[in-house]
Amino acid sequence: MGKNSVDFEPKIIAFLCNWCAYAGADLAGTSRTQYPSNIRIIKLMCTGALDPTYVIKVLLEGADGVLIGGCHPGDCHYINGNYKARRRVAILKSSLETAGLESERVWLRWISASEGVYFAETVKEMVEHIKKLGPNPLKMEWAI
Amino acid sequence: MVWKIQGVEGENYLESIKNFLNQLLKSKNVDAVLVPKRFPDGNNTAQVLITDPGKLDDIDPLAPVQMVNSAQIVKELTKDPVKEKIASVLRPCEVRATIELIKLKQILDARLYIIGYDCPGVYNVKDYIEKLEKSNGIGKEGFTLSYVNSFLSGKQDTIRESCQLCTHFTGNSADINIAWVGSNSSDVFIEVNSEKGQSLIEGLAGEKIGDLIERNQKINKILDERKKRQENEIDDFLGFMQRCIRCYNCREVCPLCYCKECLLKPEKMGYSSDRYLRRATKKGQIKMPVDTVLYHLTKINHMAFSCVSCGLCEQACPMDIPLGRIYNVFGRKAQALFDYEPGRSLDDELPVATFKEDELKEIEDVKE
Repeated sequence: MGKNSVDFEPKIIAFLCNWCAYAGADLAGTSRTQYPSNIRIIKLMCTGALDPTYVIKVLLEGADGVLIGGCHPGDCHYINGNYKARRRVAILKSSLETAGLESERVWLRWISASEGVYFAETVKEMVEHIKKLGPNPLKMEWAI
Repeated sequence: MVWKIQGVEGENYLESIKNFLNQLLKSKNVDAVLVPKRFPDGNNTAQVLITDPGKLDDIDPLAPVQMVNSAQIVKELTKDPVKEKIASVLRPCEVRATIELIKLKQILDARLYIIGYDCPGVYNVKDYIEKLEKSNGIGKEGFTLSYVNSFLSGKQDTIRESCQLCTHFTGNSADINIAWVGSNSSDVFIEVNSEKGQSLIEGLAGEKIGDLIERNQKINKILDERKKRQENEIDDFLGFMQRCIRCYNCREVCPLCYCKECLLKPEKMGYSSDRYLRRATKKGQIKMPVDTVLYHLTKINHMAFSCVSCGLCEQACPMDIPLGRIYNVFGRKAQALFDYEPGRSLDDELPVATFKEDELKEIEDVKE
């Protein structure tokens, strides 16, 4: 597997909240806004309900990136789930660093239901970034 | 506030502590005391729940051995509301774990009084038993007391690694702390840290004394040495995890792993023969048992911010993975994010149960 950005198509798992980021992705779709097909979306009710274990699992299984998308601060459907998610993601990224894994592969973004274009831009930006980073070295790592 | 209670001076620290607990039970300020006590053959200690002051002989909270983190025992003891008041005599790491469990609503603290004490550290259980056997002649109490002397003279190289790294070895977040480090005689002092603590010593004859200057100097010297030992990185975390056999021992003994339904149980993880084969096909091969890195990283993400670094996980590990050091590094990093110190105070909210609106902006975006 080459690190060349031409022949490497990253696989990115996106955990999107039902009320904002997922609706934003939906809007991108219904508006026919183009974005790369590298993303696999998993819908959650709230980013605050995302157990870090699922992010760790997909990274260990070889996903090249994880995008966590929630409501903008202050807009959470459950009042403050996104603020709590931010704390959990902070702990997660710190623990990945300490474990010697690449925390850069985990992104947290706030995307509202009206931001279909911003969702598409985020995906484009992330795909470009991960392409530069190269494939997840854990993809073929069996001893973990 | 430091108190000197009258009539507790014994021939040594253990006797002074015993005399103090005797006064507590007799005063009826508490109905029961939970305290480590030597077994009749003297070869080990266990936490014992004592209601009769006459049974306080052979208590040995300073014995350099820790079988379990007693916060787990306190949890068991307080799971139903009772009318009796219980004073639990705990090592500082157990005090801190107890406070975390109170915040996590796993310990009912209405009738619980937490008594901490200066902890000289412990050996690994295997080392303790071996050293105790070799020490015949000085008596079981003598073994503890000679250990305490070696602690005071700064010899710390053979104790458990978590204890060598411990920078919270006095019980200053307990209701009261039994202080003996820096005491010139065999006397002990009572540091009162809360209103509950004050009610505990109510009616006991004693006097308030000022700060123990020599004590602070001694403690700071030990703290400085230990801080130098603490590491900030783990070399080859993934390599250590290759030794893990996912026996769940570290989870069983961890005072902070309190979930009744653990996400990491095999049945929750959806392991089936079919799945193993599919996972093997994906990478061409797969290590069995699977998911040792996932197990530890998940455990770390679930509890590291509350990790009190008691080191029980390391003691329980059959594969000699230095989990005490590993969890200490992960824990301190997670805690530093929120300036959180587990067990410092009941007033500090758990980092994942609260938030600030204006914080952690740096993780909302990836810097290129």
